[in-house]
Amino acid sequence: MSELDPVIHAAARLRITAALAAIGEGDRIAFPRLQEQLAMTAGNLSTHLRKLEDAGYVEVEKAHRGRSPVTYLALSRRGRRAFESYAEQLRAVLGGEGSPA
Amino acid sequence: MTGPSDVQHDEQPLDPAAALAIIEGERRSATRSAIRQVPVYYYVWGGAWLVGYLVLWASWRESGAPVHIPGVVAVPVFAALIIAGVVVSMVVGIRSNRGMRGQSSFVGMVYGWSWTILGVGAAAIGMALIRNGMPPELAALYFPSAYALVLAALYLAGAMLWGSIDQLVIAVVVAIAGSVSPFFGAPANYLAMALIAGGALLAGGVVASIRMRRLA
Repeated sequence: MSELDPVIHAAARLRITAALAAIGEGDRIAFPRLQEQLAMTAGNLSTHLRKLEDAGYVEVEKAHRGRSPVTYLALSRRGRRAFESYAEQLRAVLGGEGSPA
Repeated sequence: MTGPSDVQHDEQPLDPAAALAIIEGERRSATRSAIRQVPVYYYVWGGAWLVGYLVLWASWRESGAPVHIPGVVAVPVFAALIIAGVVVSMVVGIRSNRGMRGQSSFVGMVYGWSWTILGVGAAAIGMALIRNGMPPELAALYFPSAYALVLAALYLAGAMLWGSIDQLVIAVVVAIAGSVSPFFGAPANYLAMALIAGGALLAGGVVASIRMRRLA
């Protein structure tokens, strides 16, 4: 078995990646809503999002809502593929336990 | 809640079972966040249809209702319930879309406007029929059935969009109630709409609440 993807294989980034993977393809979530859903601090979420973005797994879109800037986030196609193969690897390790994605 | 000091801790390797549990946990949490408003729609509209049509039914003489409610009370109560339903739906719809954009929010927006378009359309046809001589007894048959079909059509759309069997079942029940009840005349059709359509929506609310609890 090959190594598990180190970008995803850390509790906080796995949670972020899994939460973004649960959103429909073609949808984006605003930073505050993701933060609320994950119950993470803004600083912690930003730190890990930066790492995911650097790996090309997360796409960041800056938009304006009225006067205030809003950051929208989504998994990139590459990020989604990486997450899916990561989850598959886990299931293989655990001998096919768990529900299919 | 994790703090900045947990960043280091977050880097520690996970065992595969814990990792899979995290994935499952986030999937459930995202689903819960996406559907948490669903029971509200069911309860608000189920309540509005049940109480609203019961009140209208009780306002007819010879309805057989245990209490007679005067029309001057029944009609405003019915209107207020429908307006409350529309307002609550709009507020809940906007809130649930907050912080999301893309394909789904477009679908949600079109779906939301569909209620307005078809609701106003059904009202316009009814008014045109009244202007062309439709008596109140027939208007009492037209409006509940027209709105039952609007609701059924949009629940069919919802079933297609979100793969919801609950919505499919409610749509079929309400479509049948709306199509068959006029044959029994007014005000029996009001009683049928209250109990069948209102009941189906409230049952949908209970099912949706149970589903939500299972995701917790």
